[in-house]
Amino acid sequence: MKNIVSILAVIVLVTSCSNDDNYESTPFNNPELNISIPEGFPLLNNSFYTNKPTTFGVELGEKLFSEKRFSTNNTISCSSCHIQAHAFGDNNAQAIGIEGRVGLRNTPPIQNLAFLNFYNWDGSKLQLENQPLVPIITHEEMDSSILEVISKIENDAEYQDLFEKAFGDADITSERIYKSIAQFEYTLISANSKYDRVKRNEDSYTQIEAEGALIFEQKCASCHSSELFTDQSFRNIGFPLNTDTNEAGRARVTGAIEDYMSFRVPTLRNIEHTAPYGSFGQFATLRAVLDYFDNGVIEADNLDPILKDNNNRIPLTEVEKTSLIAFMKTLSDNEFLGL
Amino acid sequence: MKNLKNYILSAAVLVAFMSCSKDDDNPVANNVTLEFNNTFGDTPIVLGDATSSTATKNTSEAGQIHHFEEVKYVISNIRLIKADGTEIPYNVNDLDNGATVVNQANAETLSYVMNDIPVGDYTEIKFGLGVKSELNTLDQTSFPNFYANAGENDTEMHWEWGTGYRFTKIEGFYGSGNDDLSIHSGSTLTDDEGGNIVQGVDAYRDITLTLPTTAVVGNSAPTIAIKADFDYLLSGQSHTITLGDNNATPSIHTAVEMTKFVDNLGGASTIDSTGMFSIISVNN
Repeated sequence: MKNIVSILAVIVLVTSCSNDDNYESTPFNNPELNISIPEGFPLLNNSFYTNKPTTFGVELGEKLFSEKRFSTNNTISCSSCHIQAHAFGDNNAQAIGIEGRVGLRNTPPIQNLAFLNFYNWDGSKLQLENQPLVPIITHEEMDSSILEVISKIENDAEYQDLFEKAFGDADITSERIYKSIAQFEYTLISANSKYDRVKRNEDSYTQIEAEGALIFEQKCASCHSSELFTDQSFRNIGFPLNTDTNEAGRARVTGAIEDYMSFRVPTLRNIEHTAPYGSFGQFATLRAVLDYFDNGVIEADNLDPILKDNNNRIPLTEVEKTSLIAFMKTLSDNEFLGL
Repeated sequence: MKNLKNYILSAAVLVAFMSCSKDDDNPVANNVTLEFNNTFGDTPIVLGDATSSTATKNTSEAGQIHHFEEVKYVISNIRLIKADGTEIPYNVNDLDNGATVVNQANAETLSYVMNDIPVGDYTEIKFGLGVKSELNTLDQTSFPNFYANAGENDTEMHWEWGTGYRFTKIEGFYGSGNDDLSIHSGSTLTDDEGGNIVQGVDAYRDITLTLPTTAVVGNSAPTIAIKADFDYLLSGQSHTITLGDNNATPSIHTAVEMTKFVDNLGGASTIDSTGMFSIISVNN
């Protein structure tokens, strides 16, 4: 009985204290950012509307994006592989994590993700908020865990301040980490390349770029369509196969044999800066990709019908290749790349 | 707030103890132990490396000799069913207290003790092979203990890219050349922002087993001996599988092949609700 009385006393004590927790806190003022949608871009991913970028959410997300304590040995952050000058991708064939561990696939660039409905080469994630955990825990990437990350940063005054500004109190939770990183990524919009300026009548193509644009329309744009330069479909286009037994392309997710070694059509924006190319960096240059299409791709049961109908090739003359590359370079957005 | 909860909890526990302490002779609940026996038919599995002479060898229906180096699987969502049909769920939404990784290499994991099962006569048990989709998110914050156990270096039951758990992990060797066999299963389901599942494969299987003898929870704390017969892996009710280059190693993650193994081990939901599992005995 004595115990219960003392426990009750403690309860009263504790409850009476909790009132003044927020005494000093400033009013919560964290305005939503005004994200301007470039002309002609597709609809935003629905998740955007439940996690709209805010001033401090994005500031926090950007800081977390470069936080090396995300990795178990504090050596790499998101931005170690997602480098701005490479459209937030890198120049390695396959991603390289802690201790030089090599990942399964080529680091995807992070640009215009707010407008995508599928993330990663195989579309394994449909919301950006669900992605950050993957590199944190993957052995070949950061090899940590979310609670390990939180324990490393939760006593950092700068983070406490930013979490409070972004979310109203200083609680550092996994959900808030994922949301703020996604918010930062939502703001990474590339839409100010020469291609865009030409569309807005602010610039004009050189002759070779103009020729490239025409050939692109004829031979590439059925897949690399829309202002994102991807139709977001998954296709097996007969590229050299990754022999890692963990690779199956989209079929890894869907379990459908018709998706075997199919990958999401990659965007071509800033493509000049994201070499090498292919799901595991099979091609060092754009020229090598075009040569491969011209020479003929690997046959497969589920090879894309467009290639099947064309003898497993995209025939291109040397001049056409040169002009296509000139056109693809007009998709470089130096402002976005920070160049 | 956390402290407050603790105090309320300790008060509650105290009250509970006080009220219980009189009636030791008439318990309201007792333990039930699940004992997992991993076998090929009636022979217990002994693990071994490629050239092991002690490992238990099995021959599939298709004639392939095989043996295992590693056998692990997740059991969760356990429910005991009384004779009158009442279902007693055991921490079915709490992986820390209601799920376990059975690991043939670790004897401790072969017995799973369920506490505080209400007194009663139980005639059926249901459990999941794997983790049901709503809990299969690698949520370390909610279930730190299960996350840690499943993630141990000698366990490796995290499926990182799918942000879920591996449900089964079998490593071993097959054929005259002792080729590698590496069969992992797990769900690849993905929700949309409204929580509706829009893509992927569900590798979770719900198992229902009738108890040959009633398990009487009361003064006795029954042990239910369950057999997991891994002969079913290649020679199951759903599929007779011949291992080869396209399905013996993790490219079976392509889930096309994976689903066949999952159906064999855990049943193809509508036709077969036992898979490789059966009850050996109930000891009251």
